[in-house]
Amino acid sequence: MRRHENNVAITADRPVGTGQPTLVLVGNPNVGKSVLFSRLTGKYVTVSNYPGTTVEIARGNADIEGESVVVLDTPGVNELAPRTEDARVTCDVLRDYPEATIVQVADAKNLRRALLLTLQLAELRRPQVLVLNMMDELRKSGGRVDTRKLSELLGIPVVPTIATAGMGIQLLRKSLESAAAPRVPVDAASGRGYEQTTKYLAEANKILAQVYAHVRPQRPTFAQRLGSWAMHPIKGLGILALVLYFTFWFVGLLGAGTAVDFLEHVVFGRYVSPWAIRVADAVLPFPHTNHTEVSQYKFQIPLTPTRGIVIAESQRTVLAPTYSIAPGATLGGWTQTRRLAHDFLVGQYGVVTMAISYALAIVLPIVTTFFLVFSLLEDSGYLPRLAIMVNRVFRWMGLNGKAVLPMILGLGCDTMATMTTRILETRKERVITTLLLSLSIPCSAQLGVLLAMIASISFRAALFWLVLNIAIMIGIGWLAAKLMGGDGSDFILELPPMRRPQLSNVFIKTFARLEWYLKEVVPLFILGTAILFVLDKLAVLDKIARLGEPLVTGWLGLPRETASAFLIGFLRRDYGAVYLLDAATGPKAILTPHQVLVSMVTITLFMPCIATLFMISRELGRKTAMWITLFIFPFAFLVGGLVNHIGRLFGL
Amino acid sequence: MSTKRAEYLDCPLCGFEFEKHDTACAHGCPLGRFCKLVCCPNCQYEFPDRPESIGLLQRLFHRPKPPVARPDAIPLTELDEGESSELVCLNCEHPHRRNSLAVYGLVPGSRVVLQQKRPAYVVRVGETELALEAAIACEILVRRV
Ligand SMILES: Nc1nc2c(ncn2[C@@H]2O[C@H](COP(=O)(O)OP(=O)(O)OP(=O)(O)O)[C@@H](O)[C@H]2O)c(=O)[nH]1
Ligand SMILES: [Mg+2]
Repeated sequence: MRRHENNVAITADRPVGTGQPTLVLVGNPNVGKSVLFSRLTGKYVTVSNYPGTTVEIARGNADIEGESVVVLDTPGVNELAPRTEDARVTCDVLRDYPEATIVQVADAKNLRRALLLTLQLAELRRPQVLVLNMMDELRKSGGRVDTRKLSELLGIPVVPTIATAGMGIQLLRKSLESAAAPRVPVDAASGRGYEQTTKYLAEANKILAQVYAHVRPQRPTFAQRLGSWAMHPIKGLGILALVLYFTFWFVGLLGAGTAVDFLEHVVFGRYVSPWAIRVADAVLPFPHTNHTEVSQYKFQIPLTPTRGIVIAESQRTVLAPTYSIAPGATLGGWTQTRRLAHDFLVGQYGVVTMAISYALAIVLPIVTTFFLVFSLLEDSGYLPRLAIMVNRVFRWMGLNGKAVLPMILGLGCDTMATMTTRILETRKERVITTLLLSLSIPCSAQLGVLLAMIASISFRAALFWLVLNIAIMIGIGWLAAKLMGGDGSDFILELPPMRRPQLSNVFIKTFARLEWYLKEVVPLFILGTAILFVLDKLAVLDKIARLGEPLVTGWLGLPRETASAFLIGFLRRDYGAVYLLDAATGPKAILTPHQVLVSMVTITLFMPCIATLFMISRELGRKTAMWITLFIFPFAFLVGGLVNHIGRLFGL
Repeated sequence: MSTKRAEYLDCPLCGFEFEKHDTACAHGCPLGRFCKLVCCPNCQYEFPDRPESIGLLQRLFHRPKPPVARPDAIPLTELDEGESSELVCLNCEHPHRRNSLAVYGLVPGSRVVLQQKRPAYVVRVGETELALEAAIACEILVRRV
C-alpha cells in the first residue's frame, strides 16, 4: 500500500553523505513526522493514527530559505537502538548521513519520552532542532510548555507546531539555521539499556519540572471514552461487531453489489464493451455475426444481503463478446490475422472485454470502498485496540496482538503488509506473519472476487470457505510456531489516542492507494489475459491440461481444462479465480457447485500475487521465500483435494 | 507461550543488550560455527560468549528468582481497575524486557494508572497508554497511592 511513496530503500545500497544539505526527521512513533514531512516537501506519504505507519525511509526535497534541502522521513523509535527492523532503518539513516541536521519531532503532550530521545540523540553531537508537535492537543488536555525555557535548557531551537494545520512550519524553516548540538550532559559510556534509560528519564524529569505546567484535565472526552469502550471485554466485542457489519455493508453490499453491478452491467456491459466490439469490427473486419445477450439491471440500495430498496430497473439487449462464423466460410491468411487481433482485443479472453472490464468494473469499486473504510479505521486509532481483543488468539499462533496490524493491512494489500512485518520484534514472528499473510489473507480485490464467486454457488459455501480459511490460518500458525520453536515476544503495545479522522487525509490516502493499485494490478491483468490468449491460440492449454491431469483431475476431481486457471493463479490468485468463474457460470459451464468450491478453496491458498513473492524475498531473504513458496503451493493442492474427497464422502 | 527463552547477552563495552542470535558477526565469518566470539550489533565489539560448561552448570543450578518480596510493593495485577499507583520497581526476568518498559516511561517513581485488566492490561503513564499482557504486568511492582 505504501509503494506510492516512491521510497528509496537506503538500507540496501547505503549512499553515504551526498554533500547536499540534509534534514532527518526523527522521533517517537505516531507524533506526526510524516505529516510534517508532507508539509515540508509537498510529497504525500502515508499518515495513520497508530505507531508503526512508516517502516521505510521516504525522501523528498524542500525549499528552505532559498536552498534545496533533502528531507528524510524515518520510522518512529522509542530509543536509538536497532531492536526491530524499522528501528534499524532509523539508526542506519543516522549513521549513513553523518552531516545531516536532526529534526526531532515530539508529541508536546508526551515530552518526557521525547526528551529521552533528545538526550540519546545529543550523544551524536549533531546540529539538532526540537519540534513540539500537536500543540492543539496539548492545549486541549490542559498542559503548557515553556518553549523558550526549554530551548535555553537544551541549547537547541524548540519550535511549537500543529502539523496537521500547517501551523509553525514557517517558524521551523527559519529556525533550522540556528540548529546546534544540544548542551546537555550525556552519558554515552553506559550504553543503551535500562540503566541509561532511567538516568535519562530522571534528567528529563528535571527539565520538565522547569518547563511543563499542567492544570487538571476536565472530564474524559467522548473520543477517550470511545477508546476505552473499544477495548472493554464486552463493549469491545459490540464495537467490533458494529465495525465489521458496517465494513461488510459498505464494501460487500454497496461496493461489491450496487457499484459493481452498475459498472459491470451498465457501463461495461451496455456501453464500453459493445462499443469496443463495434470499433474492432470496423477496424478489423472479417465475416462473422456477433451474438447478443439480454442485460438485466436493477439499481438498489442494499440493506441486508437479501433485501434492499429497488430504485430503478431496466432491461436491454446488448452485444456479447462471442460470435459465430457462417458455416462453410473459409478465412484467408490476412483475415485470420485480423480475426486474431480482434479476438485479442474484444474476444472472450480479450483485453477490453475481460482484463480491463474486470479490473475497472469489479476490482475498482471493491478496492475503493474498502480503502475508504480502511483509512477511516486507520485514522481513528481503532486498529491497535483491536490488537488487544485478539491477543489471545494470536498467542496460539506464536504471535502476539501486535501482529494484527500487518494482518489487517494485508486485507488492503499483502505485498505492503509483508513490509509492515518490520514492526515485529523477532524473526520468528516475521516469518510466521508473512507465511499467514500469503496463505490466508486475501487482499481486498481478491476477497471481493473470491467471495462473490463462492457466493454465486450458495451462501453456505461462502461461510464454509471463510471458516475453513480462518481454521487453516490458526492451525498453520500454531504448527509453524511449534516447529520453529523459540520464544514469541512480549506484548507491549502503545495505544494512540482515538482521533476524529481528517477527511482530507482519508481521501488523499484512498486516492494514493487506488492509483498505486491500478498501476500494479491492471498491467498484471493484461499480462495474464495475453498469456491466456496466446496459450489458447497455440493450443498449449491442452498440453498443460494433460500434464496437470493427475493433479487436477485425479486429486482435485476437476475437469482438465481448469489447469490453466491454476497456471494463471500463480500471477494473481484472484485472476485464476475469475477464470474459474468463467468455467463455472460462463456460456460453457463445465463445473458443478462442488467443483467450484474445491477449485476456489485451492486457489485461495495460493500466493496472493507475484509481487508478494518478490517482497518476501526482499524482506526475509531468498531462502525463506523459497521455503514459503514450496510450502504454499503443495499445501493449497492438498487442502483442495481433501475438500474434494471429504465432500464427496459425505455427499455434500 | 513457549517456555524456551531467547538468550540475551550484555555487551561488556557499551552495555547494549541483544539477543544472542542477533550477533553482528553471525553472518559471513569464515570461522562459521566454530567461532566462539560474539559481536555486539551496537558497537561491533567482539567478546567471547560465556563458555559452554559454565552455561550448562548455570542451567543446572539455576533456580528461578523468587519474586522480590517487598513489604511495600504489590504487583500491578492486584490493583483495581481505575486505581492509581506509584511504580516501585520492575522485577523482570531479563534486562531486555525491563528496558522495553522503561522507554515508555515505566521507571521507578512514575505514576501508573491501571485502566483495565481484561482482555489485556492497559496502563496509563503520563500521556502514554500501554497494553500489556498479564505475564508482564505482574512483574511491575507498585505501591498504592
Ligand atoms: N491533533 C493533531 N494531530 C496530529 C498532528 N500531527 C499529526 N497528527 C496526527 O497524528 C497521527 C500520526 O501522524 P503521522 O504523521 O503518521 O505520525 P508519524 O510520526 O509519521 O508516525 P510513525 O510513522 O508511525 O512513526 C495522524 O493521525 C495525524 O493526523 C497535530 O499537530 N495535531
Ligand atoms: Mg510516519
